[in-house]
Amino acid sequence: MANQYVEMGLSAPVNVTWEVTYACNLACIHCLSDAGRKRAGELTTTQCLRVIDSLSDLNVFQFNIGGGEPFMRPDFLDLMDYAHGKGMVTCISTNGTLIDEEIAGRLDNKLVYIQVSLDGATPASNDPIRGRGSFDKAVKALAHLRKRDIDVSINTVLTRLSFPELDSLVELASDFGAKLRVSRFRPSGRGARSWSQLNLSRDQMLGFSHWLSEHLTVSTGDSFFSVSTEERRSLGLNMCGACKMTCCISPEGDVYPCAFLQDEEFLAGRLPQEEFSDIWDNSPVFASFRELEIKSCESCHRFDLCHGGCPAIAYHTQRKLGLPDPGCLVNCVTVKPMRAKAV
Amino acid sequence: MASRKTYVLADGVQVRRETFGLLFYNYRGPRLYFLPSKDLFDSDFFNGHQSAADLIGTICTRHDWPRQWIEDRVEQVLTLLKSKGLIHGQSIC
Repeated sequence: MANQYVEMGLSAPVNVTWEVTYACNLACIHCLSDAGRKRAGELTTTQCLRVIDSLSDLNVFQFNIGGGEPFMRPDFLDLMDYAHGKGMVTCISTNGTLIDEEIAGRLDNKLVYIQVSLDGATPASNDPIRGRGSFDKAVKALAHLRKRDIDVSINTVLTRLSFPELDSLVELASDFGAKLRVSRFRPSGRGARSWSQLNLSRDQMLGFSHWLSEHLTVSTGDSFFSVSTEERRSLGLNMCGACKMTCCISPEGDVYPCAFLQDEEFLAGRLPQEEFSDIWDNSPVFASFRELEIKSCESCHRFDLCHGGCPAIAYHTQRKLGLPDPGCLVNCVTVKPMRAKAV
Repeated sequence: MASRKTYVLADGVQVRRETFGLLFYNYRGPRLYFLPSKDLFDSDFFNGHQSAADLIGTICTRHDWPRQWIEDRVEQVLTLLKSKGLIHGQSIC
C-alpha cells in the first residue's frame, strides 16, 4: 500500500545514509567501504553543519550514520548534537571500540539509536572477521550503552562465518536489552575481494529465509526483501528505496543512490557545491534509478514480495542494473530439489 | 459538532507534507505512516495552535464540499491518527 505513495515521488528522502569518514581503527574483511585511513577531501566541520542544515530544511527525518568508524572524527559528537538540536534522529553504526562511559553519556539522547557491529557471539568467531580484541571492546560498549538505557542493537553482516552464529547473537543481544539486526553482505569495497569466500551458499540463504520467518523481532533494514517470506510482509518495505526514500552521502560529500552503489556512474551530485534539494529533484542518475524495473522478475510469483531484490548486488555481481538479485529465494528454491536429485 | 480540541504530535513523531497528503515518521516504530489526505491537513495543524473546528472552517472556505462531509472526514482522520499513537488531543481552556 505504501509503495504507491513512494512511487508518486517524495519531496525529500525519509532518511539519508551519511558515511562521515573513511577512517577506521579496524580492518574488517567484509568492509563495503574499504575503510581504513581518512582520505583527502572529507567534509570539514563547517561543511558537515551545512549538510545537516540542508537536510533539516527539507524535513529529512533521520540520518543513518556510517563510515568508516564515525567516532574517529574528532567533531563527530558535536555534529550529532547539532543534528539532534534540529530534531533529527540519528542511527549510528559503529564498531563500538571507541565508546567509553563518557561518550555513552554524550549519546544519551532519545533521538539516538546505536548499532554496534559484531559478526560472532564470541571472540573466537567474531575477531577473525573484525580484528583481534574487537569483540571484547564492542561488548564493553554495549554495557556502557545499556547502563544509559540507550536504544541499541547488534548489527551482523550475514556471511558464511556469521550464519551459524545467529541464534547465539540473538541471545547476546538480549543480554544487553538489544535486538539483532542482520545486514546483507555486498560485494563492494573489501567485500568484493572476499565475496566468493564469504557469500552464503544458496542452501544457507534458504535456511536464513526460514530462520528470519521464525525470528520476527530480528530486523533487516529491508535489505533482505529478496528472501523475505509472507510472515515478514508487514515488517518493512518490499522494494529498494534508493532514490525514492533514501540516498547516500560519502565522506567527501558525493551523493549516490545508496551506500552500495558508489561507482562513478552513480554519482548524482556533490555537496556542498550543489544544493541537496536540487540533486534530489533533478539528478538524471536519480531519475533513471527511479524508473528502474527488473522486467525479468515481473512474472514471478514472489514479485509482490521483493520487486527484484537489491539492484546493488545484481550490479556488483553482473556489472549491469535491471537484473534480478542473485540471492533471490526463487533461485534457492529451484536449486534445492536439483541438488537432492543429484544425490 | 466539531471538536474544540487542538492536536499535537506524540513524542518522537514528525510529519511533513507530500503530494498525497501527510507522511508521518515515528521514531518508536512502525516508522512510517502514509496518510492520503491530499490538502485536507497541513502539517502545521499539529503544532496545536488551531482547533479541529477552526480547521474545518478553513477547509469550508477553500472547498465547495458539504460541511458535514468535511467534519466527518476530519474527525475520522484524527481518530485514526490517535489510534495509531501519532497524535494526541488537548483541550482548549
